[in-house]
Amino acid sequence: MIYDVCIIGSGAGGSPIAYELSNAGFNVVVLEKGKYYKEEDFSKDELAVSRRDMFTPNLQDEFHIINEYKPSGNFTRYSGKESGWNFWNSSMVGGSSNLMSGYFHRMKPNDFQLRSSYGEIQGANVVDWPISYEDLEPYYDKVERVVGVSGRVVEHKYQEPRSSKEFPYKMLEVNGVTEWFDKACEEMDYVSIPTPRAVLSEDALGRKGCYYSNFCGSYGCSSGAKGGARAALLQRCKAEVISEAFVYRLESDATKVTKAYYYDKAKKSHTIEAKIFVLSAQAIESVRLLFNSKNTHFPNGLANSSGELGNNLIFSAGGSGSGRFVFEKLTQKQQKELMQVGLFFNRSLQEWYDYDDGCRNYKGGTIDFLFEHQNIISRVNRELYDEEGNLLWGQALAERLHKRLTTSRVLTFEVFNDWLPTDNCNVRVDEKTKDKWGVPVGMINLNSHPHDLEVGKHLAIKAAELLKKMGAIKVEYSISSAPPPNLVAGGCRFGEDATKSVLDKNCKAHDLKNLYVSDASFMPTGGSVPYTWTIYANSFRIAQKILATLKT
Amino acid sequence: MVQNKRRNFLIAGFVTSVVVVMNSGRIFSQVTPDTTLSILQYDLFPQAKEMDVNLAAYFTLIQRHSRIDEDEKKYLKNGIKWINEEAVEVHEALYHELPESKRQELLQSISQKEWGESYLYTLLTYIMEATFSDPIYGVNPKRSGQQWLAFENGLPYPKEAYL
Repeated sequence: MIYDVCIIGSGAGGSPIAYELSNAGFNVVVLEKGKYYKEEDFSKDELAVSRRDMFTPNLQDEFHIINEYKPSGNFTRYSGKESGWNFWNSSMVGGSSNLMSGYFHRMKPNDFQLRSSYGEIQGANVVDWPISYEDLEPYYDKVERVVGVSGRVVEHKYQEPRSSKEFPYKMLEVNGVTEWFDKACEEMDYVSIPTPRAVLSEDALGRKGCYYSNFCGSYGCSSGAKGGARAALLQRCKAEVISEAFVYRLESDATKVTKAYYYDKAKKSHTIEAKIFVLSAQAIESVRLLFNSKNTHFPNGLANSSGELGNNLIFSAGGSGSGRFVFEKLTQKQQKELMQVGLFFNRSLQEWYDYDDGCRNYKGGTIDFLFEHQNIISRVNRELYDEEGNLLWGQALAERLHKRLTTSRVLTFEVFNDWLPTDNCNVRVDEKTKDKWGVPVGMINLNSHPHDLEVGKHLAIKAAELLKKMGAIKVEYSISSAPPPNLVAGGCRFGEDATKSVLDKNCKAHDLKNLYVSDASFMPTGGSVPYTWTIYANSFRIAQKILATLKT
Repeated sequence: MVQNKRRNFLIAGFVTSVVVVMNSGRIFSQVTPDTTLSILQYDLFPQAKEMDVNLAAYFTLIQRHSRIDEDEKKYLKNGIKWINEEAVEVHEALYHELPESKRQELLQSISQKEWGESYLYTLLTYIMEATFSDPIYGVNPKRSGQQWLAFENGLPYPKEAYL
């Protein structure tokens, strides 16, 4: 059997294409390495999900080699198998979108023209995108309606142009402490933005609305309210999904991909033939598969005649911070509001999406505010030391735990700014190191640009000032060059010039007539927002291009 | 069935197997991890006993967990040996033979050493896991830890333990 389309990876990059093309009547198969979990399979078991990582591969079986570069150019090599450092997010049908928090921000028009708008930065490989915000806007809008985004549009100086006046779903309910936040923003002349969420606030689209479980990010959604790729798209279309299918090689001739080879869970090899192949296994694994698919026509890796495959890996730069609200400083009403669980915080600031320090204009970013994750084991483990750094046990520990967790609560913030692409941040494969399948593992070279830290710190200081204004104590932040594994992009840059990019502007490989890459690896720069909405939107855009090809 | 029996024997082996305690290069004594842990775990967090949290069962569970690597399991066992060797060096007695005041003194002293702080921290993290685990794991049947901190678990609860 020859399928019309074979999609490798079932997350936010692959599922919109599966949804659109199968609903258009084409024969689509999706190959997914992970298991097929559905709503009824998910629970809020912290031990399983957060402490034992049940949704990511066992690192003794599957891992990465990580080379961490220092400013000197030297690097330290880590094996994920021994160090535990890994870049897995979620291995299951629907991918990591099952476990996302769903903080949905669109990229801004300037994000598509970073080089033109902000100029060259020495040591960074910044380029403009080959498409504009206007090209992607209809698909951002489509995601709001098809995947489901709830929120409320407020006017602010960086509000991007919208074709729909409002979000299709009303805001989720929020905790009373958001009023303290809004008041502090007003006093500081900031615009408090209700964070748009890919979470349905009511029953819609054949799914249940949010039931405010208090455990959203990192956990699968038991109602289907969260707009993960499986719940929102794969379960709403006729695409055939083959789970526990690890694609280890793509076969090609000089112009076309001809077959995908995959192992089932018993390590039995199978092949799939299709007219069009779409790769969407997340940036690192997509690049790895292309390198591992090298052949006589493409000796340096499939679709790699440019030599750009794997280059310019990016993450979301920034960091996080927090402040604690304690009962001693609050009225009884405020204490009650503070401890109200289940409801979201859902507030963001984009006041400094760009800013001027008097010398030059900087691209800034987004700050999301949220309560400390409710995971109780993680929270008590953070209390095992006293203020002087002494380990606690016995009665002293019990007293600290009880006071901290029953009479105070931590509000946190996350900073998102551009991770500038550099020469030493890329993906390769380590030919000598193989996983349980006997396949060379991905090798991740990590390097960050000092500019990223400078911008992140600027934003964190602003967020910290706001927390203090709200009355928080112990306000602190950490901006670092540590890459967040769940916010990874690049490695298969798209562009007009086939000698400098892997994909064309429609995310089709320059080198091959029938290979598309639709996860975040196409992104030359990442914007200063979480990526998922943009991945979804771009995948809907690619679906239209593929649809046009299939119809001709 | 035979395989299960064999497996259960191996699992039980952690708590009942013997740790050789050395002193000045000579064998001082032998002790099972269970003998030490049964006292040490409640020295670190006596509230677990009041809450009816079965820490010993949790340490057994950890030993059979597919997601806890062998090095970690060995580390848990080795730490028992180190603590007893420290007890022998200071008091010429095994940890469980010491009165409570001496055990607390010893823990205080050990926590000032790099290996000791690291090991006690590790034990405490597993104790916290047990204290706030879902009843499906069989060690915190009444959600006592959660009640103590007025903590509301998210729903739904797990239908099976992930091991």
